Amino acid sequence: MKVIVSDLGSQYAGLIEGKSDRIIEADGKYAQCQGCFGCWTKHPAACFMKDTLQQVCRIIGQADELIVITKNLYGGYSTAVKNVLDRSIGTSTPFSTYRGRQMHHKLRYGKHDLWKVIVYGEITENEKETFRYLAERNALNDGYQRSEVVFLADPEELEAAL
Amino acid sequence: MKTVFINGSPKKRFSASAYFLFLQRLFTGGQTVTEKLRTPADHSRILEQLRGADAVVFCLPLYVDGIPSHVLRFMEEMEAFCRQNGLHLNVYCIANNGFIEGRQNEPLMQIFEHFCARSGLTWSGGVGIGGGVMLNVTRILFVVNIGLLALNTLLSVINTGSFFPQEAWISFAENAALLLYFNLGVLYYMIRMGCHIRKGTFSGKKYTRILIPSFVFIIFADIFFIIISLFEGGLFRGWLAKKPYEKI
Repeated sequence: MKVIVSDLGSQYAGLIEGKSDRIIEADGKYAQCQGCFGCWTKHPAACFMKDTLQQVCRIIGQADELIVITKNLYGGYSTAVKNVLDRSIGTSTPFSTYRGRQMHHKLRYGKHDLWKVIVYGEITENEKETFRYLAERNALNDGYQRSEVVFLADPEELEAAL
Repeated sequence: MKTVFINGSPKKRFSASAYFLFLQRLFTGGQTVTEKLRTPADHSRILEQLRGADAVVFCLPLYVDGIPSHVLRFMEEMEAFCRQNGLHLNVYCIANNGFIEGRQNEPLMQIFEHFCARSGLTWSGGVGIGGGVMLNVTRILFVVNIGLLALNTLLSVINTGSFFPQEAWISFAENAALLLYFNLGVLYYMIRMGCHIRKGTFSGKKYTRILIPSFVFIIFADIFFIIISLFEGGLFRGWLAKKPYEKI
């Protein structure tokens, strides 16, 4: 299953449509994570907040390929995209294990294939380095076999990157 | 010298960030202000505190290898505010994560560095702490130990008239020493960073953790979540199951 998380507005919808099994629109119209761990300890893989992200971890968790389309913000994900990712920690369980010689959580949905990040917006070389590192860390943390980061000068170039 | 401490945990109370903020305040001195950052309603109040400040210390949890989204939202606003008002604060950061390796906070630190570069602020370093949740539990255990000591002392006064029940005090001292030991790495780097905040100098990026072996920590972390899940009911609702998406 291929899942896209995108903060591009509706004007770019045509470039993304039909390129994946599911699209999660990071439009900011949802609540922030409250850090309660309820998606681990109370109602597994679901959030207590009843908005569009209530079951987002059940979608992202089943992705073999996750494509995150985001505007650059200080070498990391945009606020709207990060909000989606923060609400998706239920893709793992609260139990711990070792991956890459470091402690991580056990995966609820097993291993995945590709964590791909497509970054648009003005970005410095140092921020690019951080983004590559961040994607590697995310892939390891969430059990993806590999990560890839693509930088676009213009969102119009998106079609070729997907 | 004025230092603004920002607690970036979304939790209302008992957050690990609040614990580390409390410790760092102890070792900083000068005029200090503490602000909670939970929602956009907090932004303008905190930004006003930055006027006339020399340093700002962000205390926050690591979320998905980065900065929690509600803190990012504030940072975007802070960037514009600092540029408009010509503020050139020193920015320090105390990040904590649930895993034992403090170094897992490295991407978060780098993002703070880039934020400072874009905002005209001075990145002054930080401390990345592993086992933040467990360290937070140690402070609760310390308070419980004080309560037990007080109770034992009261019983001793009633039963024997002695204000110094020796066994209870020895037990308290042993437990307090153990809890202190777990926190030694954190205390050392916070005292060190407090000196840098006072001097307005670069403290570097330092990583530390709760001082117990990793394999022991993992066992305790699992037990911790089993207990919480038992009380909250998650254990009985398919705790580890591959939950399917359900249309509501």
